[in-house]
Amino acid sequence: MSLEAPDTPETDAAVEPTPDELAALLGDLVVDRDDHLNAPGFVIRPDAVQETLSTLKTEAGYDHLSLVTAQEYENRYESIYHLKKFDDPTQEVSVVVPADKDDPVSESADAVFRTADWHEREAYDLIGIEYDDHPDLRRILLPETWQGHPLSMSYDQERPQIATLPEHANPLQDHHRDAESDTMFLNIGPHHPATHGVLHLKTVLDGEQVVDVEPDIGYLHRCEEQMAQSGTYRHQIMPYPDRWDYISAGLLNEWAYARAAEDLADIEVPEYAQVIRTMGAEMCRIAAHMLALATFALDVNGDFTATFMYAINDRERVQDLLEDLTGQRLMFNYFRLGGVVWDLPEPREEFFSKTRDFLDQLPGSVEEYHNLVTSNEIFQMRTVDTGILPPEVAKNYGATGPVARGSGVDYDLRRDDPYGYYDELDWDVVTEDGCDNYSRLLVRMQEVEESAKIIGQCVDLLEDWPEDERTIQANVPRTLRPDDDAEIYRAVEAAKGELGIYMRSDGTDKPARFKIRSPCFSNLQTLPEMANGEYIPDVIAALGSLDIVLGEVDR
Amino acid sequence: MGTASVQLFPEFLTETFGLPGVLGEIVAALVAAAIVGNIVLAFTGVAGPWAKRKITAAFTDRIAVDRVGPFGLLIIPASAVQLLAKELIVPEGVDRPTWDLAPTVLPASALLGFAVIPMGRLGPVNFQLADPEVGLALVFAFASIASVSLVMAGYASNNKYSMLGGLRAVAQNLAYEIPLIVTAMSVVIFAGTLQMSEIVAAQSAVLFSVGGVEVPSWFAFVNPFAFVLFLTANMAEIGRNPFDIPEAPTEIVAGYQTEYSSAYFVLFYLGEFVHIFLGGAILAVTFLGGASGPGPESIGFLWFVAKIWGFFLFTQWARSALPRVRIDQLIEIGWKGMLVLSFANLVLTAVIVGVIA
Repeated sequence: MSLEAPDTPETDAAVEPTPDELAALLGDLVVDRDDHLNAPGFVIRPDAVQETLSTLKTEAGYDHLSLVTAQEYENRYESIYHLKKFDDPTQEVSVVVPADKDDPVSESADAVFRTADWHEREAYDLIGIEYDDHPDLRRILLPETWQGHPLSMSYDQERPQIATLPEHANPLQDHHRDAESDTMFLNIGPHHPATHGVLHLKTVLDGEQVVDVEPDIGYLHRCEEQMAQSGTYRHQIMPYPDRWDYISAGLLNEWAYARAAEDLADIEVPEYAQVIRTMGAEMCRIAAHMLALATFALDVNGDFTATFMYAINDRERVQDLLEDLTGQRLMFNYFRLGGVVWDLPEPREEFFSKTRDFLDQLPGSVEEYHNLVTSNEIFQMRTVDTGILPPEVAKNYGATGPVARGSGVDYDLRRDDPYGYYDELDWDVVTEDGCDNYSRLLVRMQEVEESAKIIGQCVDLLEDWPEDERTIQANVPRTLRPDDDAEIYRAVEAAKGELGIYMRSDGTDKPARFKIRSPCFSNLQTLPEMANGEYIPDVIAALGSLDIVLGEVDR
Repeated sequence: MGTASVQLFPEFLTETFGLPGVLGEIVAALVAAAIVGNIVLAFTGVAGPWAKRKITAAFTDRIAVDRVGPFGLLIIPASAVQLLAKELIVPEGVDRPTWDLAPTVLPASALLGFAVIPMGRLGPVNFQLADPEVGLALVFAFASIASVSLVMAGYASNNKYSMLGGLRAVAQNLAYEIPLIVTAMSVVIFAGTLQMSEIVAAQSAVLFSVGGVEVPSWFAFVNPFAFVLFLTANMAEIGRNPFDIPEAPTEIVAGYQTEYSSAYFVLFYLGEFVHIFLGGAILAVTFLGGASGPGPESIGFLWFVAKIWGFFLFTQWARSALPRVRIDQLIEIGWKGMLVLSFANLVLTAVIVGVIA
């Protein structure tokens, strides 16, 4: 639990295999090489996906399928499986699976990584690649009646999407009643007090117990990837990330894009700007975790709980600081490629003292939450040992962030794949071994304290920073045109987990493919694992403990 | 009616206004009932749109209504107009007339309970409508009708959330009504009667005095254990945190009242508040000495009002602070915990009273 690399004696993770060793391991599964800026890439046959991935998983230790990217080229379709190791996420490998232009079919990775289920459904939905051996290949973001695949080249945007009433499948109408079963089908959502947005849970109940729950997402799909693809790297994309996880985690999201784009265009960020970024990002994390605590209390305590308003009050203080820093309360748009848009607000002393005041009162608040919430016997009765997510299951589903750390998975990109100013600062990664709703909440509450530590150190650094070295932005060309066919996948530790961006350049000033790896998307997939066999209130609590934001799930 | 020396409210009316014969008694009874009913409804009117908001706001660091009238008090008529002016939506496939009757049964049952509550004197008037010998049993019987209303609403709404809420309400009331009544029985053993006025009278003696301050022998002081049991069961009975699971807004939307809007919703809301006040009234009569308190007997009514509002405040406090238990945990607490404890309390009380008396 410190800044040093994890000391688990994992032989596979200890030494990073060279690309040639990997090529040798995979043998004749590899048909070509297609290296990305972040990782070696191996092109394999479309029917060898499971064999390749399971070899990499079991024999080379690549146990984290971070993202599946799909895209269409002039002459082929392509699925990219971005693999990492939970023990060392800097060890990456990309598995590139080309598929036929006329009949895009490739093998599903679901049998090796459960997380591939939803990722491949999304690839099918938006691009049109079909996955063999997939357990349930349906559209995921768009309605069943949608015509065409919006991110494919042949998609006709002018074509009206008209579904006649009879063929329009109403996801809410199905009663699932038959004579034999004594179960009840219940639609939780899309409008329900506990779904934290527009989420639809298709739930099958046996009395009060949950037999099956299937999240139905896509109600908040806003074509964020498409929009980013039609914006320029330099200026037009940065406002979008604020709108993914909009629970005041904006700066964390912006950093995901900034990191990927800066690595793609080879931009060095001045140290001063990195410290400001680090401070701002941790403020956002506190705000996001405060809201997670607040809404979790709503889910477990009921709708008149005092905890909600207390946490919102504390969040409000961070929000004020962020407002001073960025000029915005929600959609910050504060980062720029190569730095931040402006320096700290003047007078600086006032900002520092305001920040310190906040940091001074924070331990008291956290103490109060522990008194009010976590040490309450009824609360413990409700949350301890409910919504169990074993670590292996969490990894298999690509769960990250507080959800994974609440299951004892010691994985935090701020430490394991350092960026910004994190590796210069003194703080700890928080994990809990309970694997239950309670642990996930505890992780968030402790992370708030760690974030406060980071902010405190950043304030000290910024206060003593010599006035003539306060460079807030690197010298970045007005228009960025990364090399043709350069590909990169980079992730940061956002409030909810690993938020990654994949970008492919085609030599123009706009990305040819922009893919978002949303932590909530992967985390939400674990809900059925946690919920089945539990009572309805536990499902609500489990959903609350996942702390999803539908804006990020649906993008 | 009854052996109590105090004059009941209807009798007071017949005497004061000289109403003769059976007709006079009927008129007096109706007028008295209307007055008592309106007093209770006035409490509810203040509690629902205004006091509840203010109290919750105080617990959660907010201000709440303060724009309309002094202290925001005019929000009461404003809310009333707003709620009644809404469209009454009748969903497809509801089971009428059950669906229409359910919202009236709940407030009616709670109001009926007040018929036998001795609310104390204000000047010459003794606010008690009737004082039958089985008063305590009667008040529990009235209060229990409430769960029928919840089941009616839950079943008739043709909505799965309502259904779940209705079923939860039954399970909860079954699990808590028995400990509630068994605990109340220990009071009956002390008082030796079911008659409400006698139960109050039995608590008027001085238990002990500390430095000149006389502590009355309220059953809450005589048997604090039974008081805590009763208070807990009462919270479950009226469905407030930590036992608000029949509504459980974040789980089953609003439970049995999911499909109700406008006037019907108001009736449910009203019924719930009257029920809270009835719960407070029963608690005050059985454990807190009814209308007794410092000062002359003629202001007893004010003490009684203070006690039931105190209980209301307590429910709101619990609502702001406590998490909600899960349905299976609730059943477990009720059947495995409270029931055993309440019987233990009953047997112990019986033995002790038997030995001493």
